[in-house]
Amino acid sequence: MLTMQDVRKVYRTEHVETHALSHFSIAVNEGEFVSVMGPSGSGKTTFLNIAGLLDAFDEGTYTLDGVDVSRLSDREMSKVRNEKIGFIFQTFNLIPDLNVFDNVDVPLRYRGLGAASRKQAIEEALATVGLSARYKHYPSQLSGGQQQRVAIARALVGQPKLILADEPTGNLDSAMASEIMDLLEKINSSGATVVMVTHDPELANRASRQIHLLDGKLIDLAQERPAPLYDPSPAGQAV
Amino acid sequence: MLLYQLRLALKSIRRNPVLSTVMVLGIALGIAVSMSFVSAYYIISGDPIPHKSDKLFYVQLDSWNPDNPFSDDDPTEPPNQLTYMDAMALMESDIPTYHTAMYKTVMVIHPPNDSVQPTQEEIRMCFSDFFSLFDVPFDYGGPWDSAADEGPEPVIVLSAETNDELFGGENSVGRTLRLEDQEFKVIGVLAPWHPTPKYYDPHNGSFDFAEPVFMPIHWAREMQVVNSGNTSGWKPYDNSYEGKLQSEAVWVQFWAQLDTQEQEERYAQFLTGYAEEQRAAGRFQRPNNHRLRDVNAWLEFWGVVDPSQRAMVIIALLFLLVCAVNLIGILLGKFLSRASEVGVRRALGASRMWIFSLHLVECALIGIAGSVIGLALSLAGVSYIQRLFGVQLDNPLDMTMLSVGIGLSLLAALVAGIYPAWRICRIAPGMHLKTQ
Repeated sequence: MLTMQDVRKVYRTEHVETHALSHFSIAVNEGEFVSVMGPSGSGKTTFLNIAGLLDAFDEGTYTLDGVDVSRLSDREMSKVRNEKIGFIFQTFNLIPDLNVFDNVDVPLRYRGLGAASRKQAIEEALATVGLSARYKHYPSQLSGGQQQRVAIARALVGQPKLILADEPTGNLDSAMASEIMDLLEKINSSGATVVMVTHDPELANRASRQIHLLDGKLIDLAQERPAPLYDPSPAGQAV
Repeated sequence: MLLYQLRLALKSIRRNPVLSTVMVLGIALGIAVSMSFVSAYYIISGDPIPHKSDKLFYVQLDSWNPDNPFSDDDPTEPPNQLTYMDAMALMESDIPTYHTAMYKTVMVIHPPNDSVQPTQEEIRMCFSDFFSLFDVPFDYGGPWDSAADEGPEPVIVLSAETNDELFGGENSVGRTLRLEDQEFKVIGVLAPWHPTPKYYDPHNGSFDFAEPVFMPIHWAREMQVVNSGNTSGWKPYDNSYEGKLQSEAVWVQFWAQLDTQEQEERYAQFLTGYAEEQRAAGRFQRPNNHRLRDVNAWLEFWGVVDPSQRAMVIIALLFLLVCAVNLIGILLGKFLSRASEVGVRRALGASRMWIFSLHLVECALIGIAGSVIGLALSLAGVSYIQRLFGVQLDNPLDMTMLSVGIGLSLLAALVAGIYPAWRICRIAPGMHLKTQ
């Protein structure tokens, strides 16, 4: 699903050069649930931003869903982001003056879909996260957990193949965090690949694979679970 | 997609009403000031009769003092009006399609209702061709004919406003009206007609309204009324009414319509021949020096559009530019404060171009709102300029000026928005997604 080879990312200021990622290589298979851990400044968010085509990198190659996305134009990258990637953020990042329905609608607006198709997709996504009744609410009228569920619905609504979650439970209490993890597992089990950055080892352990970053390098391919929650083979899908 | 962007832009404008109001008022002020001057200039400098301004010629002959030029500023310039003798002589020519000698005078009008006090009004003394020459529109009746010119018959034409005032706006053709001690029959009532500038007589107020009453020119002689406009003379004359008519004083204006080049050439020859004839009779002792100026050349000669008015327009447009530059700073602050929202939209699939156009749509809405308020304010501005320059403008904001106002406002808002929109569309989305 996602392959990075020898990726290097350096942030430069007038006086300082920071190597955020250095000779970074990783392969994430379709249907995997990968957790990414590491101390602050280890390069987790940089990795996620590059994986989500939100940031450029200096060297290396990046293949997403079989397509080399290393040197795409802005328009092409926007299309890939819109169609193949769903984002979930720690701070939810809902747009405050749009209601729940309109927030979930945002990614569909860039696809040029008709109103009826969008409405159906939004209703399905809100049903998945259990917020069908709240579609007219504004973010400020929702709890943190509910806001994150709206953000998950927004990430799901376009049926992306890859979900990138940056500390999705970081602003939630443990009960709510567990609910969100349940939701992510459900998404993964329905076929999406999930890459999640977290500081919480307990939550990281619920992923099918854990990776660790330190100083911009992948230092440990942690133990794999026996099998991913989702089996991408035709036989698996039939089940 | 544009509708979606419009909806988002409106939300953004409503999100911060105070800031949005400041921006709209900034543009409105710039538009009000610039449009006030631009619309005044547009009307002042416009061609008042575009379909035939190149066919209407103001006639000048040089009957002036052989020892001194008429104008010390330009010694080659003939007098700007004709003597009564010459004007009447030129009326004998059959070359022009239409022609008229004319001047302005003042008479006392006795309203038909005795309870209303008589008033002194300006009267345009002219030949019947006046109305065809200048395409004067009629609501009721029509102009008098050439027989009425020669009679002269006691007929008059009223302006629409005079008819409103004296006869309540109804068809007054056939009604009588007493001017001085003479009864006149109303033969025609004009539709509202206010050529701006008043090109047929810039001598007597370039931006005055047309006269309230028009009368066959020969009635002046019958009634012994003199002209009320400018009279210039170089040779003493008998101080009687007839003495003035036979004098070398210049006080009559003369217009001719020459539709073809051939007509123009023949008429020029006719004027040369007339001057030579007069010279042989002892007048016109200066070299042949007649002038045929068309409408725009005549207005230019009179300096109806002053260079200082052009400078005012430039200054007014610079004021709009300053307003637009101020807007850049406000928009930049506003747009950059939305970086996290833009980061989210970019992450969800918005391209840079989409973000750029979204913000320009917001600028366009601000521009349109600014133009509406600005144009309303500019009506007050035009009114002030009218008082300042002593100008009367009949329709200060026509469709052209409205379009120019909206266009200028949109342009100012969009130009001001380009840099802020470009800055916000270039932000690195990843930088703004961690915190909100």
